[in-house]
Amino acid sequence: MSTRVNPNMIKDLQKFGVGDWNACFHCGNCTATCPLTEQGFLFPRKGIRAMQMGLKDKLEGQVEPWLCYYCGDCSDTCPRDANPGEMMMTLRRYLTSIYDWTGLSGKLYKSKALHLVVVSLIFSAIIAAFLIFARVPDPGSPDVAAYLEEMGATVPLNKFAPSHLISFLDHIQLIVIGLFLLTNAFNMFYKVVIKDKTVKIPLWLYVKEIAVAFWNFVTQWRFNKCERKTYWLSHWLMMSSYVLMFIFIIFFLDWFQTDKIHPISHPQRWAGYYITFGLTFACLVYFTGRFRKKEAIFKFSHHSDWIFIFLLLMITVTGILIHIFRISGMANMTYYMYVLHLAFEVPMVFTFVAFSKWSHLAYRPLAIYFSNLKKSAKARMAAA
Amino acid sequence: MTGDSGGVGIYFLNGQISNSPPNANFSEIMTYAEKLPGVKIVKKPNGGSESDPSWLIDDIRDHDLTRVVIAGDSPGFYKSFFTKAMVEQGKDPAGVVLAGFREYGTHAANSRAKAILDCAVLGVPFELAAQPEETEVHPDTLVIGGGIAGIQASLEIANAGKKVFLVERTGTIGGHMAMFDKTFPTLDCAACILTPKMVEVGQHPDIELMTYCEVKNISGGPGNYNVTILKKARKVNLATCIGCGTCSEKCPGSAPSEFDAGTAMRKSIYIPFPQAVPNKYLIDSESCLYTQKGKCGVCVKVCPVKDCINLDEKDEEIEITVGNIIAATGFKVFDAKRAEQFGYGKFPNVVTSLEFERLVNAAGPTGGYIKFRGKDKRGNQIFSAAHDEPKSVALIHCVGSRDENYNKYCSRVCCMYSLKLAHLIKEKMPDADVQEYFIDMRAFGKGYEEFYERIKGEGVHIVRGRTAKVEETDGRLLVRSEDIVNDRLLEKEVDMVVLAVGLEPREDAADMAGMLGISRSDEGWFLEANSNTAPTDTFTGGIHIAGLCQGPGDIPDTVAQASAAASRVLQSLAKGKVKKSIKDLSLEKIDARARQLAAT
Repeated sequence: MSTRVNPNMIKDLQKFGVGDWNACFHCGNCTATCPLTEQGFLFPRKGIRAMQMGLKDKLEGQVEPWLCYYCGDCSDTCPRDANPGEMMMTLRRYLTSIYDWTGLSGKLYKSKALHLVVVSLIFSAIIAAFLIFARVPDPGSPDVAAYLEEMGATVPLNKFAPSHLISFLDHIQLIVIGLFLLTNAFNMFYKVVIKDKTVKIPLWLYVKEIAVAFWNFVTQWRFNKCERKTYWLSHWLMMSSYVLMFIFIIFFLDWFQTDKIHPISHPQRWAGYYITFGLTFACLVYFTGRFRKKEAIFKFSHHSDWIFIFLLLMITVTGILIHIFRISGMANMTYYMYVLHLAFEVPMVFTFVAFSKWSHLAYRPLAIYFSNLKKSAKARMAAA
Repeated sequence: MTGDSGGVGIYFLNGQISNSPPNANFSEIMTYAEKLPGVKIVKKPNGGSESDPSWLIDDIRDHDLTRVVIAGDSPGFYKSFFTKAMVEQGKDPAGVVLAGFREYGTHAANSRAKAILDCAVLGVPFELAAQPEETEVHPDTLVIGGGIAGIQASLEIANAGKKVFLVERTGTIGGHMAMFDKTFPTLDCAACILTPKMVEVGQHPDIELMTYCEVKNISGGPGNYNVTILKKARKVNLATCIGCGTCSEKCPGSAPSEFDAGTAMRKSIYIPFPQAVPNKYLIDSESCLYTQKGKCGVCVKVCPVKDCINLDEKDEEIEITVGNIIAATGFKVFDAKRAEQFGYGKFPNVVTSLEFERLVNAAGPTGGYIKFRGKDKRGNQIFSAAHDEPKSVALIHCVGSRDENYNKYCSRVCCMYSLKLAHLIKEKMPDADVQEYFIDMRAFGKGYEEFYERIKGEGVHIVRGRTAKVEETDGRLLVRSEDIVNDRLLEKEVDMVVLAVGLEPREDAADMAGMLGISRSDEGWFLEANSNTAPTDTFTGGIHIAGLCQGPGDIPDTVAQASAAASRVLQSLAKGKVKKSIKDLSLEKIDARARQLAAT
């Protein structure tokens, strides 16, 4: 296969992040300092080379950017201050846009204005929808009073936004976004595995390696190979609490969104508090980090990073407030917060899960899966 | 004006005066430029505007420019761009004039920059207009630093029959070169070249050698400097010491040997190395039991010469007057502990190149056998012939050099000395596994590339890829690098790691520059007046620089510089006059002379 060199590709890539591409003099320090790099999957230097030369074909099939968890060691020790860690991040953004066949991802990444407009539009649409369709329940009406009596509750949130209805809408959202994410992930599979003619992967290997991939997804144990364990901890807290929240909202909303105030020992409340703790902790770490710009991983923030962390923080804050208002019986404030909560949540899911930052939730485990497949297949080929 | 009918345009590129003191005011210089004769336009184009010349062509046409001045740090970089635009408009390309602020130093940056612009606008070379006056010169010369640069410069001047004071801080002359085993690329024995010169200095009737002395203060001006020299208490009489060594034998105090780069111990009363000049003992007060605790004096008792050792001797100050000064104060090596990833100071067998230089030297602590570092009875980490031999050695290039975290510059000698060390290991242990890890191989000098090829042929594994870290596993050292050419990750276990440490200005370089009244580069090296035309001069009259105090270099460079500096000194002594400092020349004087030159 011939490889095409395109020196102008850098101009396009630069919109996905920052980095002085010419700074790198290819000493290999970043690759050798990285605890995750291994024979056959060398990064970040090789990726930077491909970026400098504009090797689009090569970049599209690269699995390496996803194998990096961004601890920043390479950037800290880079003799040229070329910030290889951020270049890996830039490549991940670029690859996300490459996998996305709709082209929306690239547009969101390249234009801060567009991303903000899309988020604001969805935000306003949610608020408008509530203004048009939702009715604030009247606690004086016999129907509501009977409900409150039965539940032993003071705030009839499910009369304002019935959980089965919200759940139904959530499922629609899941199907739509899930379809995009699935097709994008298949695109990734095609580019990374099928197009790679150097290795043939037998079918049974796919089954064999899936357990390891799942284990990595749940624990992110690979991240723990990096020197700074606190990064793994805050990342894992954020991931686990978000995924847990996602599961509850999509599959168990009736159980999760209740008007009955359970005693403190009830698992529903523990789950809620765990999620709140995980998200708050992670939000604080990432928010202050990005403001202080002290550590390598926070020195540069793309607009997608800022919008993401802002929305997540807002979701967390409004979530906490819903809980506080509900417990203290402030019905109207609970409804307002609920509307805001959804108004922040939906644009987050819509713009990030399939088209931007959150999609790495799928791509990174897949990348680990694919790279393990290739490794095992190559080892088998070498043995034969 | 020179009678041109057209106007002058001034363009400020890369917009700042390098090394400028914080009070340099750029907009003030631009305002000044606007008022110069014939100036029609002053502009500061944005970065990147040099890709499209249309705006410049418009300027030249609209203002009928016949002279365009490019002002900035490195204006030559943009010359072709401006020349093309001039030719495009049918103007004489000779009208493109450079006003390089960096070229002429940056003392009093604003007035200097203005003077440079003056000359450029008038079309007069700055060197021609900025001619300092001359003054009487004292016939004696001071050379500061007794390394190869100081030795060479002193000999050049003294051999011309002129008096030289050579001041050296340590107990002997010789400097870093005396510590090296071999020189590259010829593999000559360093000591065999150096020691005859050292002896010549020691015996020369026109050189007053002042070892264990430091320059404390310099006053006066060009042609007549009054220098205060601190003569530190040697406590051994140079005139009567016979160098028998009995004192050292019996001395109970000890300290790490400076000459062996701290890899071996020496006594408190010692001779730095057997070929030292002067070949006399001295006492290191910091480890001397008599000075520190008030009781001992064994050396005095065993010394066969009466009153040779005086343990109560005090420092003295000496005043001398000289006409010229050559600063040859040298360098220090990068402190490898700063680059923690290589484990220097943590793992005993991660050593610096200077330490290794002593290890392979036949006069070194192991007699030239390559051995592990280990502890002596008192727990000091030393090299000893009694230790085992390493079977594999990795050499890591660019430690502390070409690195934004430490020093950005290339130290110039490390590639070559690493190759030399690799050769020496192979020579002494042909079966040893020797690996080198480099970023770029800089074999730039005469015979250097050939030397590189030769070492490659000797079976040294030379890998393109900077080592990122050294770790210890089961008592061996694990070296991790990316082998870029072969597209693989290399994790090699070796017995010893040699760090090719870079070169840095000395800690007291700022004080020395302050005393001499000279400037320093961003990195801290002494700044020459002009790297192309006056590489050993400074902006201060009668002050010259030679050797590595000016920046990294190798031995041939250093010797050549020392001879060049000596020739500038001899020039002034032959004339009996020395130029005053350019930095003291006022803007008005330069301006007046430039106008006078332009008019003729």
